[in-house]
Parts: sequence; C-alpha cells; structure tokens
Amino acid sequence: MSDTFQCGDNTALVSFLYDECEPGERATIEAHIALCPACAAEVAALQSARLQLASWTPPEADLGFAIVRPRAADSPRPRRLRPGAWFRQPIPAWAQAAAACLIFGAGLSLGVLRGTSLNTSSSAQRAATNGPGSPAAVTATDLTALEQRLRAEMAELRAAPASTTAAAPQVNNAQILAQVRALIDESEQRQQRELALRTAQVVREFDSQRRMDLARIENSFGQIEGLTGAEVREQRQMLNYLMRVSEQR
Amino acid sequence: MNWTDEELVARSRGGDLDSFNQLILRWERPIYALAYRVIGREEDARDVCQETFLRAFRGLPGFKGEAKFSSWLYRIALNLSRDWIRRQRRQPTVQLPEGADPSEVAAEQGPVESIEDLVSRRELSAVVEEAMALLPEEQRTAIVLKEYHGMTFQEIADLQGCPLSTVKTRLYQGLSVLRRHLEKNGRVPQLVKRV
Repeated sequence: MSDTFQCGDNTALVSFLYDECEPGERATIEAHIALCPACAAEVAALQSARLQLASWTPPEADLGFAIVRPRAADSPRPRRLRPGAWFRQPIPAWAQAAAACLIFGAGLSLGVLRGTSLNTSSSAQRAATNGPGSPAAVTATDLTALEQRLRAEMAELRAAPASTTAAAPQVNNAQILAQVRALIDESEQRQQRELALRTAQVVREFDSQRRMDLARIENSFGQIEGLTGAEVREQRQMLNYLMRVSEQR
Repeated sequence: MNWTDEELVARSRGGDLDSFNQLILRWERPIYALAYRVIGREEDARDVCQETFLRAFRGLPGFKGEAKFSSWLYRIALNLSRDWIRRQRRQPTVQLPEGADPSEVAAEQGPVESIEDLVSRRELSAVVEEAMALLPEEQRTAIVLKEYHGMTFQEIADLQGCPLSTVKTRLYQGLSVLRRHLEKNGRVPQLVKRV
C-alpha cells in the first residue's frame, strides 16, 4: 500500500475506519483528515453509523441442535409392538390379589347361603306337608324316626376324620395368602427396579443438561466480552479522533 | 476440558458424535446470528442454522482443515442464506443493485416513523434492521461479517469470492445507505451536524 492518499478515496477511508491499513498509510490519512473537513466529516459519519449498528441484536432463539446417532441400516428393524387385547394385558399384582379375595369371599358366601336355603326349604316342605294349622298331627313315631336319623347323621360326622373337615379351608386360605404375598413382593421388586432406572435416567439427563447450559453460558460470556471489547475500542477510537479534531481547531 | 475446534473436528471425524455436538453448541449462536442478519427472518434463520450443521456433519470427511472450521461453517451458512434469498419469492426483500445511488433509493422509501418515538434500544434495533434490509445482499453480508463477526477484509473477500477492494467498496456503500436511512429517521449523529 502506498503512503499517498487522494482526497475522496473512500476505500482508503474504510481501511482507516476499520484500522486495517499500513501504519504509514494510516499516518498519511490522519494528516489529511486533520486538514480536510469533508473527509473528516465522512469518517465521523461512517463511524457513527457503525456505532448505531451495535444496537442490532437478533432475537433470542431456542436452538440446541444436536446430531443423534442414526440406526444402523443393516440391523434388524425392531418389531413394532401393538397393544394386545384387554384380556391379554398383564394384570397388576394388586388386581390379582383383589380378584383372589373376591372369589374366595364369593365362594364362602355361596356356601353359607346354600346351607341356609337348604334348611329353609326343608322346613317349608315339612310345613306344607303338615299344613299350617296341624302341629298336633306329628306323632311319636315321627319324632322317634327323626331322632334316629339325627343320631345316625351325628355318628357319621363323628366317624369322618376331623382333619378333612376342619383343616381344608385353612390350607386353602394359607395358600391363597402365600400367593398374594408372593405377587405383592414381585410387584414391589419390579417397581423398585423401575424406580431405580428412572432415577438414574433423570440424574443422567440433569447432568447432561447442566453441562450443556454451562457450556452455553461460557460461550455467551465470551461473545459478550468480545462485543464489549469491540465497543470500547470503537469508542476509544472515536474519542481519540474527536480530541485530535478539537485540538486542531 | 476445553478442546479446540481442530481437536473436536478430528474427534468428530473419528466418529465421536459428542465432539461434533460440542462444536454445534459452540457455533450455533454465531451461525444463527449471521443467518438472521442476512435473511432477516427468525424461523428461516433457524432452518438455515440447522441445515448448516447437517451439511457440515455430512461434509466432515471432505473437510481437510485447510481453512478454519469456523470459516468453513460461515461459508456453508452464507451459501445457504444466499440460496434462501434466491428462492424467496413471496416476500422479496428490497434489493439495491450495486452501484446505484443509495441516497436516491433511501429517499424513495417514503415517510417513516418519527424517531422521537424510538427511544428504547429495541426500537433502535428495529430501525437498524430496517436499514439493513435496504442493502443488497452482498453489502449486507459484508457489513455483518465485519461488524458482528470481526472478520478481516481478506477473510470477507475469501468468503464472498471477490477482490479486497470490492469488499471495501461494499462496506463503504452499505454504511452510506445506513447513515442516510438513520438520518432520515432522525438518528443523525451530533458529530455530523456540527461538521
């Protein structure tokens, strides 16, 4: 670059404006500006336009782009799972326990009701046979026969092993309770495993987000520092220029 | 650990996605800002920004590191922005042919809002944005690269594929249009009034 400067050479003024000219050329332009009001005004106007440009900031945008690993083309495509029919869906443990209790209760009630209805029907049948107003028709023979029948039934009951009558329901109850407990235990273990997995995932995501935020903040600080430095530099240049112009006048 | 761009590029070329995502994190704001200032539309600038990194990722095997990674990114983003401007038909931006008299074009823009109402920084930003939209794409890009990305004349010339003197001319003409537009809006610098 030559050290000569022709008045009105705008490209040279731009070089001067952005401080991208050779030291010798810079001195030449400075000397010319000190004497030429037109060029001085031109440089000052361009400089002020530059200062206005600093106010233009793009709107905040939610960026956060990231490249994700593509699925390998040769790997088998995972089968898409469709929800099965409602009766094929796995039933939760608590529902299974509730259903077991319900069935047990219903069976128990049915048994109790059957016994009650049998007694009621035999009484009603007898009343119908004798008629409502004939209690006196019962003879001593009938009573004797009834007594004998009852004694025979009681003897049969005594003869039957006690374990088969009394322990059976207890065994059934114990089995059901054991099954229910096993189901509940299994469910709790599954939930604990799931909870542990979720917790680990949340911690991982939080950590990743934190690192990304820190990097972004660091980047922003760098940009702000750069911008502030540029503004300070520009203002310093402008002040220097003003000082020079005012001293010369 | 703070890796340099070159180190992250090398790791990315080795298949490390996290390294490339770090590059994205580092450069997405400047690239978005560049695209926004060249295009002037937020959503499209986001698209250009996204496409820039996608192309960079796909082009990593061909990136030999002869230029800086940031320069390479800027070049991709500028090419995409230029393509976007060419494609845009529905709402064309006001274009000023190079060499036209900026003051006449600025004068033809009609009455503009009084500057007395423009008191906040946001409003001033809008005025500057409006003025920048008046510029031809080449001048606007040159100013954006110089003012907001701190590039040298030579770097801008390389990116725009033009001689150094053309870059200076574009800067001068662009700043002149801006100055006139700001004057028209009452943003006349006190220094200019006194001279």
